[in-house]
Amino acid sequence: MLKLFRFLRPYWWQVIILLLATGLQVYTTLRLPALMAEIINKGIVPGDTGYIWMTGIRMIGLTLVSAAGSLISSYFAARVGTAYARDIRRAVFTKVINFNLLDLKEFSTASLLTRTTNDVNQVQMVTIMLLSIMLRSPLFLVISVIMAMQTAPDMSWIIWIGAAAIIGSAILIMSLVMPKFKVFQDLIDKVTLITRENLTGLKVVRAFDNEKLEKKKFIKNNDKLTKLLIYIDKVLELQNPLINIIFNGTTLLCSWVGISLLSKDFAYLGNMTAFAQYVTFVMMSFLMMSMIFVTLPRANVSAHRINDVLSTKNKIDWLDKTDGVPEKTSSVEFRNVDFCYPEASEKVLDGISFVAHAGETTAFIGSTGSGKSTLINLVPRFYEATSGEILVNGLPVKKYAKDDLISRIGFVPQRGVLFAGSVKSNIKFGAPNASDEQMRKAARIAQAENFIEKLPEKYNSHISQGGANVSGGQKQRLSIARAICKNPDIFIFDDAFSALDMKTDARLREALKEVTESAVVLIVAQRVSTIKDADQIVVLNNGHIVGKGKHLDLLKSCKIYQEIVKSQLSDKEYAAELRKAKGGKHA
Amino acid sequence: MPNNTKKHNDKSMWQSFKVFLKSIKGYRLPITVAVILTVGSAIFGLFIPKILGDMTTIAVNSYPDLDWTALGGKAILAICMFLISAALNYAQAYILAIVSAKYTKEIREKILDKIFRLPISYFDKHQYGDTLSRMSNDVDVLTTSMSQEIADVSLSLTTLIGVMAIMLTISVPLSLISFVVVPVSVAVVGKIMQYAQKYFREQQSTLGILNSEIEEDYAGEIVIKSNSYEESALEEFDRINDKLTTVSRRAQIFSSLSFPVTHIFTNLGYVAICALGGVFVIEGHISIGDIQAFIQYVSRFNRPITEIASTTSTLQALLAASERIFEFLNEPEEEPDAVPAKTIDKVKGEVEFHNVCFSYLPERPIIRDFSVKIKPGMKVAIVGPTGAGKTTIINLLMRFYETDSGFITIDGVPTREMNRADVRSLFGMVLQDTWLFSGTVEENLRYGKLSASLDEIKEASKASNVHHIIEALPRGYHTVISEDSDNISAGEKQLITIARAMVANPPMMILDEATSNVDTRTEHLIQESFEKLTSGRTSFVIAHRLSTIRNSDLILVMRDGAVVEQGTHNELLKLGGFYAELYNSQFAEN
Repeated sequence: MLKLFRFLRPYWWQVIILLLATGLQVYTTLRLPALMAEIINKGIVPGDTGYIWMTGIRMIGLTLVSAAGSLISSYFAARVGTAYARDIRRAVFTKVINFNLLDLKEFSTASLLTRTTNDVNQVQMVTIMLLSIMLRSPLFLVISVIMAMQTAPDMSWIIWIGAAAIIGSAILIMSLVMPKFKVFQDLIDKVTLITRENLTGLKVVRAFDNEKLEKKKFIKNNDKLTKLLIYIDKVLELQNPLINIIFNGTTLLCSWVGISLLSKDFAYLGNMTAFAQYVTFVMMSFLMMSMIFVTLPRANVSAHRINDVLSTKNKIDWLDKTDGVPEKTSSVEFRNVDFCYPEASEKVLDGISFVAHAGETTAFIGSTGSGKSTLINLVPRFYEATSGEILVNGLPVKKYAKDDLISRIGFVPQRGVLFAGSVKSNIKFGAPNASDEQMRKAARIAQAENFIEKLPEKYNSHISQGGANVSGGQKQRLSIARAICKNPDIFIFDDAFSALDMKTDARLREALKEVTESAVVLIVAQRVSTIKDADQIVVLNNGHIVGKGKHLDLLKSCKIYQEIVKSQLSDKEYAAELRKAKGGKHA
Repeated sequence: MPNNTKKHNDKSMWQSFKVFLKSIKGYRLPITVAVILTVGSAIFGLFIPKILGDMTTIAVNSYPDLDWTALGGKAILAICMFLISAALNYAQAYILAIVSAKYTKEIREKILDKIFRLPISYFDKHQYGDTLSRMSNDVDVLTTSMSQEIADVSLSLTTLIGVMAIMLTISVPLSLISFVVVPVSVAVVGKIMQYAQKYFREQQSTLGILNSEIEEDYAGEIVIKSNSYEESALEEFDRINDKLTTVSRRAQIFSSLSFPVTHIFTNLGYVAICALGGVFVIEGHISIGDIQAFIQYVSRFNRPITEIASTTSTLQALLAASERIFEFLNEPEEEPDAVPAKTIDKVKGEVEFHNVCFSYLPERPIIRDFSVKIKPGMKVAIVGPTGAGKTTIINLLMRFYETDSGFITIDGVPTREMNRADVRSLFGMVLQDTWLFSGTVEENLRYGKLSASLDEIKEASKASNVHHIIEALPRGYHTVISEDSDNISAGEKQLITIARAMVANPPMMILDEATSNVDTRTEHLIQESFEKLTSGRTSFVIAHRLSTIRNSDLILVMRDGAVVEQGTHNELLKLGGFYAELYNSQFAEN
């Protein structure tokens, strides 16, 4: 929480105004009981009507000043609090949007989302509370104590008794309840988890006819939750009656002591009433402050979660200007590239070297964990190679300015991701200046034209958040169109074809040739059929290159490749393929 | 027009209030007791300032020889009063705590029951998150505001009436001052709160917009990166973030205004009563102790009024929550099973579709007049492009959906005339979406047959090629699988679901082959165990792999929601239709 307070710095003068206004408000509010005591002592007792009216007018004046102070401090608390939250939110968003993929992996999307919204809201709420109550309460407390002692010094011990009673009861209740809150939260999570599982696994639960089992699980946790809830409530509800007893008891004590002191000084008649009010203020301040201690831990958790994001170091440094001149002809070259995750001992990629030329397709295949996805993510610097060099158009990627490198690459991720907007805005996402002609061509090549033309408003049709209103295959085709529309030097398809049926897959690859004549194409794939026509196939296993060549060559020479092909074809087909490979040798 | 909608809102609100009242009917007695206790507690509390004031008056009147017996009596009376008041207050809170906890529990169970009884089609139209939020957020709101509301309203009303009565007995003119000041202050605060609420609503909706914007950006970060879109994304974010800040500042300012404004009015009333009261004492209208008491009553008079004013917003929240909960609970359920239900003793596995028609939407028929006879032990492959309706066949077979017309028989018995649970128990199901619940591997495997022994489970795992993978996990069969557990890959999860189906050992199988995200070796293992699972059983496979398709006894080719061709691989190739086209596009040179 404290760390985040640095975001308050730009607003320091507003905080100072707020402080001054709060001080004014507290002081004037607390003057009122003293004046009332004076009305009793100097007005009512001697029977001086004039004095009463005079003091009355003074009290009205004070009331207005106090109100003004209160308004000003509330206004600035709201202003500072919301501006502060806005700045934090912006900082978090900026940070996340510039994360590299390693950072993104560390946090999940859902968690980042909560951190940017809910957690910041939590912090905003508490900050506003701190700025208003937390500043006001101690002031109230101190000034009340001082004034109480001034009005009736002989009675000041009552303050300590009242304060001790309030603090004692708060500690008692908290110590009974606090330890249970964690258990409580766990149980709530558990109940929610079971519900969610029953929703996501609806069909499985019904298919196995396990509703009764699931219900039993639910009831078990729900019962525990209910019992705990009753316990917590029982304890928490003690608070109100206890406070009432303490307040009433203290007031009674004030009257009693005040009356017994009357013989010493008749002024206690007015003073004891004022004193009772000061004591009430003191106890109220303690209550308010204890409220902060309840909310603070929760906000602190939020603040920590925000700080986690903010303190992540962006691990990739980009140059502001490209250092050097890339060649005209497109190419991608890996020179002895290693990659391993920070703090991991095993290499994900080990000694990777290959060259991909313009007009050629280079495909990567291998089992999960073979590192093929990581490999192509190194080209746009989503990750940073641990050692070795990656060259794009003859120039190391590290020497590029960010936009210069990115604009050369058309990247299609595994999952088709779209953004709310129109078909058009999605295809032109990476190339806002592209012509409509270019956009249509991209859609045609990506095999998306047919379904776009069938949409009610064609290219202007609405795409909802995350592309929820188009099917998975359509999403993937649009995201391929998006990459084509950029007219890049280098195409990267990260397993982008597996969401398509085989027929569309084949047609798309055929059409793609139109735009890849002078471009480098890198494809990661699962299906052998997708890559068998590639000019170069790189077979990866455990981060090593175990084979490099054309389909038929690899079929002869590379054992891992044989295994992969075998697993995807029937025995007969495999035998046929193998024959073809062997035949090729003799021909 | 806007008037109409308002009327409609009021009406539907009243409707949901009635439904809510009906739902707490079972708790009538404890709630009534709690209300009586609250009233009692308020009444006992009311007399305390009056007694304290009397003490002052006694002291002043008997000065300088203080009448300690009278004072002592009053003090003891006051102590009794506030102790009794506190005791009653606690008794009330205790009862309401139990009532609200029990009610919450009851509602939660009802919602879970409802989830089980709703037709699957409900969840095609509604998102899980929505149901989940009804279960957690809405139930929370409903129950906390319920007990709060019962206690607050009865306490406020009693205090209000009681305070007014006592104030009037002390001094009519002073009472009138407060009666005028307080309602004015409440009216002003009410107006301010209206604005605050308007901005709070705007804040909520802006927050929603910001949320979806951020979610989209974070989820699509890789696309943003690969298109250098960061600057534009930040611009868009700034626009919404600034708007949110403006609205939430306004909401904050307006809601924090209510405190100082009430304060002004309270203090003005306070000053007026001090001054005017002082004059009255001098003129001998009332005693000094009564002034003291009166000042305390004024502050007590304020609270219940502001509280009642704030009830409207709590009540609105309560009603909105109860509307969402009971709307869900009143959704139409699956048709009840036929009584008496037919059963099949020894299943041979003959499945027949008789002129089956089905549509999700009446205007878009998905399956038209589909008939096919599947002999026991046949392997049926369902193929076709994405979105062709392959899963619909499965959904009908499992009776997740009911046919519009026509029917399906198993060994000649119409599935409609059987219990749903019985129909489903005839099939083992392995879906692409590998659902496992959080629990140990063993528990997950036992899901299909709760009585299965550990040996049976291990046998099934071995047959499904997953035994070694499980053994390699840190705690073997006792390893806990959770949602975000990354110790198990997607392919391994699928193997576990295959083993799960194997443990259940059903007479027929339904399989959905995974398309992607499975590495080749695991895929090989999966295929092998698929084969074991289907051997000798009637099985339906949503197929993506050529090997599966070619080896099946019957291929159903689907396109745009209809079965366009059926037959064996060779028959269909000879036909030279859609299937041949599909197949050839895959292996063009064959």
